[in-house]
This record gives sequence, C-alpha cells and structure tokens, in this order.
Amino acid sequence: MKITCVIPAYNEEKNISQVITKVKPLVNEIIVVDDASRDQTFVEASKSEAIVVRHIINRGQGAALRTGTQLALDRDADIIIHFDADDQFQAGDIPEMIAPLLAGQADAVLGSRFLDKKSNLPKLKKNLIMPLARLINRLFLNIRLTDPQSGFRALSRRSAEQLKIENDGMAHCSEILYQLFKNKNRVIEVPITVIYHEYGQKLSGGFKIIKDLLIQKLIN
Amino acid sequence: MLQQILALIVILFFLIRLFNQKKKKQINGSEFLIWLIFWLVALAAIVFLKQIDSLVAWLGFSGTAINILVYITVLALIYQVFRMRLIIAKIEKNISELNQALTLKK
Repeated sequence: MKITCVIPAYNEEKNISQVITKVKPLVNEIIVVDDASRDQTFVEASKSEAIVVRHIINRGQGAALRTGTQLALDRDADIIIHFDADDQFQAGDIPEMIAPLLAGQADAVLGSRFLDKKSNLPKLKKNLIMPLARLINRLFLNIRLTDPQSGFRALSRRSAEQLKIENDGMAHCSEILYQLFKNKNRVIEVPITVIYHEYGQKLSGGFKIIKDLLIQKLIN
Repeated sequence: MLQQILALIVILFFLIRLFNQKKKKQINGSEFLIWLIFWLVALAAIVFLKQIDSLVAWLGFSGTAINILVYITVLALIYQVFRMRLIIAKIEKNISELNQALTLKK
C-alpha cells in the first residue's frame, strides 16, 4: 500500500519544512504543490524529501489539491491524504485517519474537529460559522457530518479517481463532500485535533463559498 | 428635443465605432449583429419616443416611454453582468486546467 500525502501550500515558508518533517515518517511519499507562493515556500519544501511542484500562477487551494491528487494518482498512490501546510493539523492523527481505509471499512475518511478530540476553534467559528455551514450542507447537499469544512481527509485510490474538484477556491471542501456521497463512497469521520495559529476563514469566506458553488452549478 | 438630439448623437457615435470595429475585424459577425440591432432599436426608440409614449399608455403603464426604456436598459445591463460573470468563471476554469497541465508536464 503506497500512502501519499498531498500538501497544498501558499506562502508557507515558515511552516512547510516542519510539516514535511512531521508527516514524512508516517507516509511513503509527500507531494507539495506550491500554489505560486510569493515567498520561499518552494525553496524550503525542495530542501526536504518531498516531491515539490509549483503552479505558474496562484489558483487557490482547490486547484492545488486537484494538481496534487492527480500527481499522486499518476505516481500509483493507493491512499491519498489531504493535509494543510500551515501546521494546524496534527501529523499524529494520520495513522487513525488511514486505519479504516487499510482495514477496508471505508472509501474516504474525514477528519472532524467536533468529535472526541479537542481543538482550539475560535468561538465565532465554533458557534456561528460551523453550525451555519453544517446547516447549508444539510439543506442543499443533504450531508450530515459533524465537521462541515474539514480539509484533513484520507481517500482510497478509487475514491480519489472519481473525484473531480472543480472549485479552485475554498468551496472545494463542500464540493468534495458532495461528490463523495454522490459517488456512493463509504464515508466515516475520525476525530482530529486542530491547533489554530491563525483565525483562518472568516464569515465572508463562507459567503464566497456559497457564491462559488452557485456559479459552479450554473457554468456546468 | 435637445435631449433627443444628444441621445441620437451618442447612438451615432457608438454605431460608427461598431462599424469601425467590424472593419478592423475586432469583433465577429454575430457580435456585430447583436450590437447593431441593439443600437438600431435604441435609435428607433429615441426617434419614435412620442409614439412609444402612446403605446405605453395604451398598454396601461403609468410611466412615460423614457421611464420604461430606462427600466428595460437596467434589466438588460443586469443580465449582461450576469452573463459576463459566467463567461469569466469559464475562462478561470480553463486557466486552472492549463495551469495544472503545465505544472504536471514539467
């Protein structure tokens, strides 16, 4: 079983090296997609053992994930993990994330910040943005998950092959969830810990996600 | 009357520009036709403003012809902005696909 971790990175020169160092012992291969960072992310990542590719122009996290996932499939990955470059996810959660895939119990495993483990989610995010996102997922996508916007996921090869990430921006999270269920994947959630160093996505970002999903629907 | 003359001058200016663009092959045939029809309709609406006034009153609208024309124009503009947004989204999608292809080709 070849386990590949895809890390999309944009302006993460301070974090990328330590993220790679923490993740490397737990997977067979790391693919870093530098989304045309303006800082030294590409140089820093290239110093490590990871495979590093670089977008010519900045297209967003969804686009970087699409590139990384395709490259992982081209390089015969059996399990593909999506992991953030900002050092907020804990590499120690990776074995628990891939365990259901290795046991053949699931096709896709999603990390959840709202199960057993504790994450230091900002209050507004925990009490307003996430419940709203959860509601939108339930109403429009008919998805019932504890974490509506987790970027930490592990996918079987079959599941990743079926995925067609169309949204370049942050709306890819909802899009991936929708496609996983639409493609009748066996999806389970696993508790993860997220240590927030920055606030991350704001409420305005949530509205942009809704707008992006609607436009995506119209152009397809 | 002065307002009508000014409006006609503006429309004529855009019509001349349109023919120049077509002559320089800056726009294709269908685009030229759409804009030609648009400006000719606008021209006709300005020339026959009084007749449209009567038509609007006969149809039971309380506003004047010029009001109705403004409403229609605003709706047409909103529709155009919407169309442009979709076209931009398609172009963005193509750029992303190209970006990915170039990244993976290296």
